[in-house]
Amino acid sequence: MKKIINTVSGLLLTVTTSLSYAQQAANLDELLNQLEQGKIAQSEQNRLREAEFKAKLSQQDQLLTSAENTRDQQIALSNRLEQDFQNNEIKLANQSDALNKRMGELKELFGVLQQVAGDTKSKFQTSVISAQIPGRDVFMEELAKSMGSSSKLASIEEIERLWFELQREMTQSGKVAKFTTEIVLANGERKQSEVTRVGGFNLLSQGKYLEYINETGSIAELIRQPSARYLATAEQVTLAPAAITPFALDPTGGSILGLLVQAPDTQERVEQGGPVGYVILAIGLVGLLIALERFITLFIVGAKVSRQLKEKTACDNNPLGRVMLVKTQNPDIDTETLELKLSESILREVPKLSSRLTLIKIISVVAPLIGLLGTVTGMINTFQAITLFGTGDPKLMAGGISQALVTTVLGLVVAIPMVFLFTLLHTRSRNIINILQQQSAGIIAERAEAEKGA
Amino acid sequence: MIMFIDMMNAIREFMDTGGQVLTVIAVVIFVMWLLIFERLMFVFYGYRKVKKHLQQTWFSRSEQHSWYAEQIRTALVARGSAKLNQNLPLIQTLVVLCPLLGLMGTVTGMIEVFDVMAISGSGNARSMASGVSRATIPTMAGMVASLSGVFASTWLQRTAKRETELLEDSMPVAH
Repeated sequence: MKKIINTVSGLLLTVTTSLSYAQQAANLDELLNQLEQGKIAQSEQNRLREAEFKAKLSQQDQLLTSAENTRDQQIALSNRLEQDFQNNEIKLANQSDALNKRMGELKELFGVLQQVAGDTKSKFQTSVISAQIPGRDVFMEELAKSMGSSSKLASIEEIERLWFELQREMTQSGKVAKFTTEIVLANGERKQSEVTRVGGFNLLSQGKYLEYINETGSIAELIRQPSARYLATAEQVTLAPAAITPFALDPTGGSILGLLVQAPDTQERVEQGGPVGYVILAIGLVGLLIALERFITLFIVGAKVSRQLKEKTACDNNPLGRVMLVKTQNPDIDTETLELKLSESILREVPKLSSRLTLIKIISVVAPLIGLLGTVTGMINTFQAITLFGTGDPKLMAGGISQALVTTVLGLVVAIPMVFLFTLLHTRSRNIINILQQQSAGIIAERAEAEKGA
Repeated sequence: MIMFIDMMNAIREFMDTGGQVLTVIAVVIFVMWLLIFERLMFVFYGYRKVKKHLQQTWFSRSEQHSWYAEQIRTALVARGSAKLNQNLPLIQTLVVLCPLLGLMGTVTGMIEVFDVMAISGSGNARSMASGVSRATIPTMAGMVASLSGVFASTWLQRTAKRETELLEDSMPVAH
């Protein structure tokens, strides 16, 4: 703070002096005068300095000689050191020659050690056993590096440790072990949990498969688990690791299970179908609702008709009853008029029973057609991708192709149940219509005869 | 017992290679043949009783030539025919559905093949093999199922038609 204040005050001082100069030199003549006086003062100063320098001349000579002396000394030192360096070089070469000679076969051994340590490191990095015993690959890496540099020798301890680690990997891969560690759940939460390790193949926890991520050294639950059948065996193993249980293991040590994440699930599949897929699904939903409504209606009507078949008196809440009422309402007409009136009333009932069934039939035919449309648009997308990017990358074409195929599947998925539902509903309505058309007259005749007989 | 387990394993492996659609086809085949066997049993055993009952009703009538009698005869024949034709449309539909399901299996299998291509980014034939087997096996199974059903359902339909006519003929109208 003080410093700043000093600087500022200094600055202010300079400004005021220059201002005073400007005031003094308000007149041109005055300025000239001042310049002249300044010149006289300067030449006076120069003369003084010259005299001073001349007085010190002998002193300067002395300084020069001492500097030259020092330089000569340094050159001599440098020459000496250079000689030393060369001698040392020769000595070093001789020594390393001797070292190579003495190492002989040992050198090969270190080469093998380096190679084995490198291989083991990469093996440990992918091995699920590292989840239980972490930090093994660090030692391997250091060993491989020091073996590669050739300036260091492996100690007996290091060689024995390599042996031990290899043996431990082998022993552990034959065991089903349990240990508690922190795992990352599918929702990102971290949790201490008991983990079962099956040899060098899989990690399990609470009936779920885990994966070992080497980069972070963490254990994570697989976001997508394999199908329930395999999960059941995994659960058995976690419950009773000592007993002999069948178990679905991933022989690649987790890479097949890792690919599961990439496989799309049902929802993603449907999304691949695009707008065409949604149109098909919407049509399918409409068809399903219609079928449901028809099912309920036909079931109620069918129940009423079969009740009517057993009852003597005609009731007008069902088709058969309404047809039979024709006879009761016209007790004295002749048979031909009765037949005409019967068929007329049947004709009135039939459309009510078979209505909307054609719509289901149409949906069952149209759904695969829309699927075909989706296929074609998907193929157009594929060919567009080919025109733009060429055929080099199959991944680019896969999007259009999956759209093409998914829409076909959706079309079939909608059409198949629709065909089935149509048949069921059609049979049901046909049965009722059959009763009306072929049996109503017979039923009326039977009743009439029974009344006559009674 | 071991043979049975072996057989179960073989079937299970086959179902696995065929995928989910094959399971659906299996269910359809099972239901279809269940219905076919039920029909066969009816045609050979159950129908006789029904026929006898219908004929008895007809012959026990005192008069067989009035309008009433004719209507009653039509109704009797219709009842017999309805019994004979029961479930036949369903069998027919299941027969038609089988190749459709096979087609669905083909397409889902092809999706799997392209999935493999999308994930691995290569045309490695070995990695695509499971998808190809899922595409072809359901098609084959659907064809076999539908072929096996076609004969049975055709025979049943012809029998139902013939039996209806025979029933009609066996109940003469006196003029």
